[in-house]
Formats: sequence, C-alpha cells, structure tokens
Amino acid sequence: MSAEPTGGAVADSLPAAPARARTGARGRRLPVFALSIIGAFVLAALLANVLSPADPEEQSLRQRFTPPVWDERGTWKHVLGTDRLGRDLLSRIIWGSRVSLTAGVLTVLLASAFGAGVGLVAGYHGGRVDAALMRITDATMSFPVILLALILAVTVGPSFVNVVIAIAVILWARYARVIRGQVLTLMELDFITQARIAGASAARIILRHLFPNTLNTLMVLVTLQVGYVIIVEASLSFLGAGIPPPTPAWGSMIAEGRDFVTSAWWVSFFPGLAILLVVLAFNLLGDWLRDTLDPKLRQL
Amino acid sequence: MARFVLARLVQSLVALAILSVVVFVLARATGDPLHLILPMSASEEDYANARRYLGLDRPYVEQYASFVSRALTGDFGTSLRARRPVGELIAQRLPNSLRLAAFAMSVSLLLAFPLGVLAAVWKGTGIDRAAQVIAVLGQSLPTFWVAIVLIEVVAGRLQWLPAGGIGGFTSYVLPGFTLGWFVVAGMMRLLRSGMLEVLDSEYVKLARVKGVVESRVVWVHALKNALIPVVTFAGIYFSILVTTAIVVETVFAWPGLGRLAYEAISSRDFPVIQAVVLTTAAIVAVINLSVDCLYAFIDPRIRYVR
Amino acid sequence: MRLAIGIVAVLLAFALGASPAAAQGKSDLTVALSSFSTEVLDPVLGGHVVKYYMSLMFDYLVGVTPDGQLSRDTGLATRWEPSSDHRRWTFYLRKGVKFHNGDEVTSEDVKFSLQRAIGKRSTTGYAGPLRALFADIETPAPDRLVIVTKDPTLIIPTYLSRSLSTEGMILPKKYIEAVGDDAFAQKPVGSGPFRFVEQVTGSHIKLAAVDNHWRIGVPRFKTVTFKLVPEETTRIALLRRGEVDIADVSRERVKELEREAFPIHFRREEAILTMWWVLPRDGQPTKDKRVREALNLAVDRNEVAQSIFAGHADPAYVPLGLSWSYRDIGFKVSSEMQYPYDPARAKKLLADAGFASGFPLTVHAYQLPGLPEGKAFAEAIAGYWQKIGVQPKLVPVDYPAFRKSWFDRATPGAVGYYNVANRDWIGTYALLEKQAYSKSKVSDTVNDPEIDGMIEQVMRQTDKEKIGVLMRNVYTRLRSEHYGVPVVYLHSPYAAAKTLGKWNPGNVMYDFFIDELASSKR
Repeated sequence: MSAEPTGGAVADSLPAAPARARTGARGRRLPVFALSIIGAFVLAALLANVLSPADPEEQSLRQRFTPPVWDERGTWKHVLGTDRLGRDLLSRIIWGSRVSLTAGVLTVLLASAFGAGVGLVAGYHGGRVDAALMRITDATMSFPVILLALILAVTVGPSFVNVVIAIAVILWARYARVIRGQVLTLMELDFITQARIAGASAARIILRHLFPNTLNTLMVLVTLQVGYVIIVEASLSFLGAGIPPPTPAWGSMIAEGRDFVTSAWWVSFFPGLAILLVVLAFNLLGDWLRDTLDPKLRQL
Repeated sequence: MARFVLARLVQSLVALAILSVVVFVLARATGDPLHLILPMSASEEDYANARRYLGLDRPYVEQYASFVSRALTGDFGTSLRARRPVGELIAQRLPNSLRLAAFAMSVSLLLAFPLGVLAAVWKGTGIDRAAQVIAVLGQSLPTFWVAIVLIEVVAGRLQWLPAGGIGGFTSYVLPGFTLGWFVVAGMMRLLRSGMLEVLDSEYVKLARVKGVVESRVVWVHALKNALIPVVTFAGIYFSILVTTAIVVETVFAWPGLGRLAYEAISSRDFPVIQAVVLTTAAIVAVINLSVDCLYAFIDPRIRYVR
Repeated sequence: MRLAIGIVAVLLAFALGASPAAAQGKSDLTVALSSFSTEVLDPVLGGHVVKYYMSLMFDYLVGVTPDGQLSRDTGLATRWEPSSDHRRWTFYLRKGVKFHNGDEVTSEDVKFSLQRAIGKRSTTGYAGPLRALFADIETPAPDRLVIVTKDPTLIIPTYLSRSLSTEGMILPKKYIEAVGDDAFAQKPVGSGPFRFVEQVTGSHIKLAAVDNHWRIGVPRFKTVTFKLVPEETTRIALLRRGEVDIADVSRERVKELEREAFPIHFRREEAILTMWWVLPRDGQPTKDKRVREALNLAVDRNEVAQSIFAGHADPAYVPLGLSWSYRDIGFKVSSEMQYPYDPARAKKLLADAGFASGFPLTVHAYQLPGLPEGKAFAEAIAGYWQKIGVQPKLVPVDYPAFRKSWFDRATPGAVGYYNVANRDWIGTYALLEKQAYSKSKVSDTVNDPEIDGMIEQVMRQTDKEKIGVLMRNVYTRLRSEHYGVPVVYLHSPYAAAKTLGKWNPGNVMYDFFIDELASSKR
C-alpha cells in the first residue's frame, strides 16, 4: 500500500541542486482549497459532540440502510442515510473525523519525533553509532508496514492505540533516513564547524543548530504522511486489523460498507468521500509546502 | 568501487540478520498454531504430541538456530497449515507478485510521464494543479475501495474485463491499474521536480538558443535528463509494489506473496511468516543495492557521503 | 523518451510472459468459495471443512444421500450389520472399485484408512470417540471388514459415513506406504469420481473426472475447479461474467442476484448461530440461570433474522439445537420453548438475580468463514443487551485468538458466537460429546453433570428408542437451563450460473454434492 519508497537512500544523499529562483509567485499562493478542507474537518473533529445530529453508536435495526435525504425513501432524520445497523452516517462521519484525524496526526508525530531523533544522532555522530542505527533503520524499512500491523492485531487485538503504534513503529525509519541525509550535508557547513570550535556540546549543536535546519523537511514529510497513514489505517480495517467498530473510524466504515456498494452505495461512499477529501488536501498542502519551503526535496 | 559494493552488501546482510530475529520473535508472539490445527476435542496429550511432531516443543534458541541454518541453504521448513514445503509455496506465489508489480509499474509510468511533464511545463497554472490532483487522487482513496468499485462496474456490469484470478493479459488490467494508480503521485512528483530542474539548466537553454523546437526541447532533451532519478526510484517502487500488494491481491483473488503472508498470519503459520518477510526484505535489499551501486557508479561523490 | 517506452515494454513483457490463458469450456465446472479451510489434501489432517472438495476425490466407507440418510448405493459398503451384542460390525465392500492409480480397493485399504484416521497424527474432528471405542479391525476377506468395539454401540456406520467428517474416507494403502504421508498429501489418490490434478495453495484446487465411476456414471464435467475468492464483490462479478458456475454469496445480496435471474440454491438451516459463553466461574453472572434467561429474552430474534440476515434465517430457541437431528430423535420445539422478545421481563430477571444495574459482559467479535455478517451480528446482539442494562464490551479479535483464550480457559464468562454446522443425530451427539464438560478436554461450554451422564449413556446404548429419549432429554435440559443464546438458523445461499441446471446441494455438513450434479445417472 505504501506509496512512498522506503529505501529513500538515494535521494536523501543526492547532491542538492543549486538553488534557483524557480518558484514563481504563483507557486507560493496559499492552497486555499486544501487548507479549507482540512480546517473544516478539524472543526468537525473538535466540535463533534455539538455538530453531530445523533449518537454515532446508537443502532436501530429497523432503520438500517435508510438512504440519504434526497432519495424518496430518505428522511431528514438521517441526512446521509444509515448503515447496516441503522446508525446515522452523518454523525459517524463527523465523529469519525475525530478518530481518523487523531490517528493520522498522532502516528506521524510519534514517528517523526522518534525518527528525527535517530536521524540527528546518527548523522551527528557518524561512525559506528551511525552504522548501527542505520542498519536498524534498514531492517525496519524492509518490514512491510501492513504485515507488522496485522501481526500486532492478531497478537494483542486491534485497537486505536495498537494501530497507531504499529504504523509508527515502521514509519519512523523514513524520517531517520531523510533527516540523517540532511544532517550529513549540514555537518559540512561552516557554522557547525564554528560551533564545534567554540566548544558547544553535542546536545547543543543537535538541538540548536541541526534540528532547526531540518524543520522544513520535517514539516513537508509530516504533512504528506498524515494522509498516507489514514489510508493505511483504512487498508488495515479492510483486513480486519484497523480501528475496530463500534468506534466510528472512516476506514472501518468503508470496509464495512463495501459489500453494499450496489444495494446501499451511501454506506461506503460518504466515508470514502471524507477520506478522499482529507487525504487529497493533506497531499496538496504537502506538495505546496515542499515547493515553497524546500524545493530540493524531490521525493518524500 | 568494489569496496563500496562490498560494504553495502555487508550492510544489507546485517539488516537482514536483524530482521530475521525480529520476525522470528514476532511470528511466535501471534499465538499457538495448534489451536487451529487440532480439533476441538483434542486432549492435552494430543497437543503435546502435535507440538513434538512439529518441532515446536524445542527451546526458542534452538528453533531459531535451526531456522537460520536451514534458511541459509534455502530451506524454510514446512508450512504448519498447508503441510507443504515453504519454499514451494513461495515459488508458486513470487512470480505472480512480480508480474503484477511489473504491470502496475508500467501503468504508473504511463500515467506519470504525461502528468509530470505537463505539470512541469505549465508550472503554477491550472494544468499543473489538475495534473497534481489526478496523480494524488490515486493515493487518496483506499485501494480496496477503488478495486471493488472497478470490479463492480467494469467486470460485473460492463463485463469488459475479468473480475479476479490470474489469467491472460486482461486479468492484469484491473489489479494493475488499482495498484499502479496508487503510486502515480510519487513518480509524478519526481518527474515534475526533475523536469523543472532540467528545464532551467544551461543545457536546455542552449538547445533553445540553437533553435530547437520547444516540444522537442521538452519531450526529448529535458525528459531524457529528468528520467534518471525516476529510473532509480522505479526500482524502489517496484519493491514496494511487490511487498505491499496484500489488499489488492485479496480483492482480486490474486495468488501472490501478500495474500500468502496474510493467510500465514491468520493461521499462525510461523515458517511461512518468516519466509515471506525475509524474501520480500531480500528483494528490497537487492534492488536498493543495485540502485545504490548504479548511482555510485554514475556519481562518485556518493561513495564518500555514505 | 525511447528509454521510457523501452522500460514500459520490458516491464509489460515480463508481466505477461508465461501467464497461463484462462480457458473455460462448458464441460468444466468452476466453484468459487470464500474460504478453503486448511487446504491440506490429506483427510486425516484437514478438518471437516475440506469436505467440499475432498468428497469428490475419495469414496466413503458408508455413503449417504444428499439429504443425509445412510445409503447402500453411494458408499464402498453395500451392506453392513452388527452382531447381536452390537460389538462386531461387519461391512461388505463393493467389488471392482479401483483407486485412481489402478489399484483395487480392498478391506486392507479400509483397515489402513481407519487406523490412520484414529492414529496419533490424525487431527480429524471425531477421531477421539472412535479411538476410545475401537478394539480391533479384522479383514476376513478382501471384500469384508469387521470392526470390533470395546462396548456395544450403534454409532459406527454413521461415524464412518459421508454425513460426518473425514474419518470414513478410504485411502490407498499401497500408494501411501510407497510414497509416504507427505507425498500423498501433495498428490492424493482416492477412488472418487474426480482425481486430483493440481493445487496452488491460496488460489485453486483442480480435479479431473475419471472416465466412468460406479457412483455417478460418466461425469458430466471433465474438470471441476475450486477457486478461492475471498472478496464477495469479486465472486459475484466472476459469476456475472460466467467465469464461475457456483459461488457462495451473502444473504444480503440474494435479492439483487435473483433480480438478475441467477438461480439461488439455499442450504436451509445450514447452521445454527449461537451466542455462548466460555464456561463461567462461580460467582460470575452467567452462572446464574436467571441471567442466562434474561440474555435470551433480550434478543429480538425475528428482527435479527429479517434485518441482519435479510430474511434468510429463522429464529432458533434451543441451545445447540441442530434441527437436522430432530427427525431422527423425534424432538419437537414446543411453543413454550420459544423465547419471546421481552426486555421488560429480562430486566426483572436481572434484578431478581441481583444485577439490577447490569454487569459488564465481554463480547468477542470476529470473522468466521461462511459468516460475513458475523461482526454486525455481534454488534447487534450487544446492542440488545445494552438495552436491558447489561454493559457489553465488544472486543474485536481474530477467531484463532479467541479460540485460544477459550481453550486456555483464560476468559471465563466471556461471550463468543459460532455458526455450528447442522447435522443428523449422531453428528449432534458427536458435537455434544465434545462440548460436554470433562477435565481432559478444553472445548467445554456446558458443565452440567446431568447432561454429561446422559451423553455418556448414548454411546453405549443400542436401543434406538432409548437413544431418542436420552437425546430429547438432553435438548430439553439444554433449553430449560438456557445454556447459550441460540439466535437464528441460517439458510445459506449459493448462487449458480443460469446454465447450471438442477442441483440439490443437500443437507450434509460441509458438503454440497458436486458429484451428484456431475452424475449422468440421474
């Protein structure tokens, strides 16, 4: 499922292209579409208890598969219709934005914090530390993320926390690779050498000099990967290892609704639309950030 | 150069060794396969018998040692579920996975080329944004949903293409497209940024000055140069496609490695879990290694960076 | 650009090189199934669910008709009789039957097969009781076999018939002894109407017809292929395109397929879907009879049948009430046995039992083969229980993990569900025998000395009337003690191609008689 190459070894160490004024004014224009979609869903997530018209877990078998309101059998009580247990889809999507966005953001934050730490330490120290850390990174990267999540799910049972951990445990390696590559380049630069000569401690150099210079890259990666994590979670739901019901997560909603694509299309369509919009928005925002902040990063 | 290759080779082997321990432990953490093999009425004695028969009663260290020493000779043991040699199971599935990945790769290249070039040439315009959206769309939908909708519409309703299973050319189209579209975005980004860089270079400027037709500048001179990173990343993408097609394989009933891994995990089939993970990791390692060597060959500076 | 075209061309060539073409003629039958079980082609290792394809490759010692009656025409035994003390069962074998490798089937093969079925390596479902019962197997003539038992019994013919599991499948002694167990499992040889051609695990199993078979004549199909297609949408699309002839489908999609005029064959009451709890400890709520009754009264069975199972299910009221056995033992579900939907009384019962404010109840939700509605079902039942004040907690696990914690008795009192395959009285007895409490076994769900005593007597009882009384009493007690929450009988739909013709999938567990469909004798 991964769209990102895990073995980004090459690009990370590609010599940076000479900076040129390539990014025209138009490229820098704020991605209004992406930002407004993300904003809307974040709002929905924060205000789920206010916005949601019904209890997302309240089932009513007699009302199962009520179509959306514009269908002649639809009702205003369930604007987007109901699922196979008669739960209100709109409410589930609103609450689902809280679950899915939290899962996406939390996973990426965990992974990036750990991965960046490893990358900074490895890149700064070099030598044996670097070699050891990078071999662990390589091993991690070659473990397919979905397989690990499946193993965790059958071992300790699928849950929100386990899904976040399973994805983060694999994802950090990419951050470690990319950040290490950047640190190696930075270490060649004069200001680091000067800081060393001035007697700054390793921790100080890493935190005050190296880390701030990798922030742009981190931001781009984080943004691009929130969407990726949401998609991976959905795939895990399909395989029965995602965030489990009755918790409303978009992935499991689509997975549950997939058998009714013909008989009750709305059950999987609306959560699918929600995922599409959010992931698209994060990807477009990430692309824009990269163009703006760090045009040298060609592949993240 | 030889030293560089050797060093990278050793690094890959070390990573694989680490992975072998991890997957050995993780596989055993999933539970007891005997609960699935033995009938409900089995007694404690039946369990003890079966455990001895399958070699699961030995200490973990011993089991690991025999797993590694046999794996080095290419013997991954016998599947606990299917009672067949694991090597045979892998040999049946791997070619199917590789073929599907190759097809998906072609699909994504065919989509990424025009999109990437157009986006670069028309940078910042509506065309650029439209191309980006088309590419990113494939990455923004869960593949299983795309697959099911395709099957329902293209195979079930229109009946244009087979719905699942492996067969002739037509059976590759739907799974290949589903999988391929998913990675278009990454490849298109590469191509776009590569093109932007090249279009701005002295080399292209020179071509323009010399009066070469613009379309030729773009599609021949510039693209040729923007291709190199794409080609190297293509290798990596390929390995991703092989390792992570579980979902697509499930929906399309495609007998590949991913599906094998899924079945192995759900039946706690330790030898198969170990073999699949290590095989895929080895493929990734081989591809990365060759790409790195290729790069080091092209650009000697890399040898010093690493 | 040329480079790019070159890369794509090479990749495409690689992708398509050596891919086999899919050819399907009219004489080939393809069956798409959502699950294949273990895919082991050795009857003593496979478990029952492999019967779907294995019963085409092997003959049983005792045959059955598609509706589960023992038959002298469809098994290797043309007749069988007990001695007057019911300790010696003599089977007379059909003459001239050959294995696919040309060897003749003799009583030695039967003896070998039965010993193998109850041997140490065997993991079949019902080897246990046979192992306990068998004293000796004699082969006085190539066409005669005598099974000597330690106790008088009536169960032998059914246990070795096609109506149960795989113990009665007859295997070639010489072949297995020559090639070994492992080679046999990879290239099985039987005497059934179809012989093994190839197996790609996780993909398909292909069989080819023999020229002429004593049971079905010249088979109507040259090949039968079983395809593993886990995803429902894909199975249906394959059916629409004519790539498969039979597919198991979910109840939810029956209406849609019927609208398109695909014949749907139902296996009525194929399974009883039951909520049950792992043997509770003392002091746990489900140890209290009133609580068990309350949990039963809280469920609206009709609503579950109509909504979750799209009307292709009927309410069930007797725990483990395998209705195909009712006819054999003369059992009838009386109207007072039927649980009404009565949440008010359920609440009162809970209050009487001292749980007025409910209690936490762990409900496991997992996917079972053949039950796509499983998780929705678990969620729905948990919802009903919530309405009477119980606090159900849905715990998603995969089934093997649940089964482990159940066998390890790690989750006493926790609730799970199971679609127990329906079967005749001996099958039912065999199942009850497994479920009954015993220290040496791990699968118990009922701990009731009275029931254990009755079950103990059945195996050694040789008077059919008395067996009937015992079995009826077992059922009556299971119901009156509320040992479980039986919810519905499931009717399982199999969609067929429009060209398939008449087919009776029968009612024998884990079998749907593709060989009858292939018969030219009908």
